[in-house]
Amino acid sequence: METKDKIIVKGVSFFYGRNRVLDNIHAIFSKHTITAITGPSGQGKSTLLGLFNRMWDDVPGARCTGEIRIRLGDRWVSPLKNDIPMPLLRRKVAMIFQEPNPLPMSIAGNMAFPLKLAGVRDKSIIEEKVQKALAQAFLWEEVKDRMEKSALDLSGGQKQRLCIARALVLEPEVLLCDEPTSSLDSKAAGIIEDFLVGLKTSCTLLVVSHYMDQMRRIADKVMALQEHGLSQI
Amino acid sequence: MRFSSENIARNVFFLCTIAGAVVISSILLFMIALGLPLFKESSFFSVWTGPWDPYQGLYGILPMIIGTLWIALPATVLALPLSLGTAFVITILGGSRLRKILGVLVRFMTGIPTVVYGFVGIFLLVPLIREGFGGAGMCVLAASIVLAILISPTMILFFSDSLTSVNPVDVRAAKALGADRVQRLLYVILPKAFGGMTSGFILAMGRALGDTLIALMLAGNAIRAPRGVLEPARTLTAHIALVKAADFNSLEFRSIFACGIALYLFTTTAVVAVRFMDYKRSVVQ
Repeated sequence: METKDKIIVKGVSFFYGRNRVLDNIHAIFSKHTITAITGPSGQGKSTLLGLFNRMWDDVPGARCTGEIRIRLGDRWVSPLKNDIPMPLLRRKVAMIFQEPNPLPMSIAGNMAFPLKLAGVRDKSIIEEKVQKALAQAFLWEEVKDRMEKSALDLSGGQKQRLCIARALVLEPEVLLCDEPTSSLDSKAAGIIEDFLVGLKTSCTLLVVSHYMDQMRRIADKVMALQEHGLSQI
Repeated sequence: MRFSSENIARNVFFLCTIAGAVVISSILLFMIALGLPLFKESSFFSVWTGPWDPYQGLYGILPMIIGTLWIALPATVLALPLSLGTAFVITILGGSRLRKILGVLVRFMTGIPTVVYGFVGIFLLVPLIREGFGGAGMCVLAASIVLAILISPTMILFFSDSLTSVNPVDVRAAKALGADRVQRLLYVILPKAFGGMTSGFILAMGRALGDTLIALMLAGNAIRAPRGVLEPARTLTAHIALVKAADFNSLEFRSIFACGIALYLFTTTAVVAVRFMDYKRSVVQ
């Protein structure tokens, strides 16, 4: 293990019942980089992302073998061995999805939600962190006067930036992005891309994408998930 | 005018809606018309607020209204935590095997005839209450407990449907933010499912208000307003069942239409309350 390593994947296979979705995956992801993961549909790219924060945990029949190690702070944790509490893992290894998914509450409510889950009760701390995360997502100026309005009224691009800001409010070390721009127009996608590149200084990013141009623009490394496994291209 | 399938379907559904409204309104008018002799003979006011004593010429149904509320409301309140807990386990908190077993059990319970619940109450619960608290055992408490068990499956199924109909995208978002199952339930699923769950609660309460057999078998049927859970009571529906053998032209018989109107008003109030709450929630969201 080198000091620049952030995530190490060794011989990971994943099953839904008897169906093998991922077979013997090996990979190393470095700190403060963006790794784009591509490949044909149905090869398990989203499933692979979900392994790092155990999103498959409640899914009946889901089973994972092999080893995943993630460096969080100064400590290596193994999500598959359950050696870190699940809520803590998901706060440190955050995830955003293809479709923006703001919760049906106000913008402020959405932003404060993860902090409340984490047990933060101090209003001034919540306000400070919310403002910082929204500013980081280039969204603060657009929403500062309507924080109590429904988050569902935002545009598609704004919703996605809100979701990213919401994930960032807990200062995660890894950000898993599952096709984060595929439902957006090119302008909104461009803003998100710039934003993701800017996050490299604080996060390690794994981005699933189908767009080769986008991967070339933002990624430090591009990997393809195909039948024989995950390989750098 | 175009005879497109869409127009035909729209008109057919419109006619169905009108027919439904006409039938429901006609039932109310029918009950008012048939109850008129009673309202003319006794005063309209005394029918709703007076005591029941046909030998004295008193045909008030207030004791039955109070008896109905004494039995139905505690039954609904008792059924609520039981149904909430079971619905949470079936939909979110339980393991897959437990969920399946409980789901089958609840559906099975909906198919059990009411009279079976009544027998269980008579042979198991009534003796327990008699020995534990004295009296005849046939009282508000016995009827309320059995009624609570009877309406629980309805409530559980409504609650479960509302909980599982919450958009999985919202649940996944909360999950990815570190919400555990209980937090997802409390902060995301419950607020979204609240409207449907309220409807289930009100409908179950409507079932408790309208149930005849349990009250008839277990509540004791005394024609006076109960003052405690260990006293006997007669519900509106039990009263209808008990006096329907009287002469059609007697005022005693006509009282069943007053009972019908009271039940109609209870149900209408409940439905309007649900609609109002749904409207308020939709405005807020």
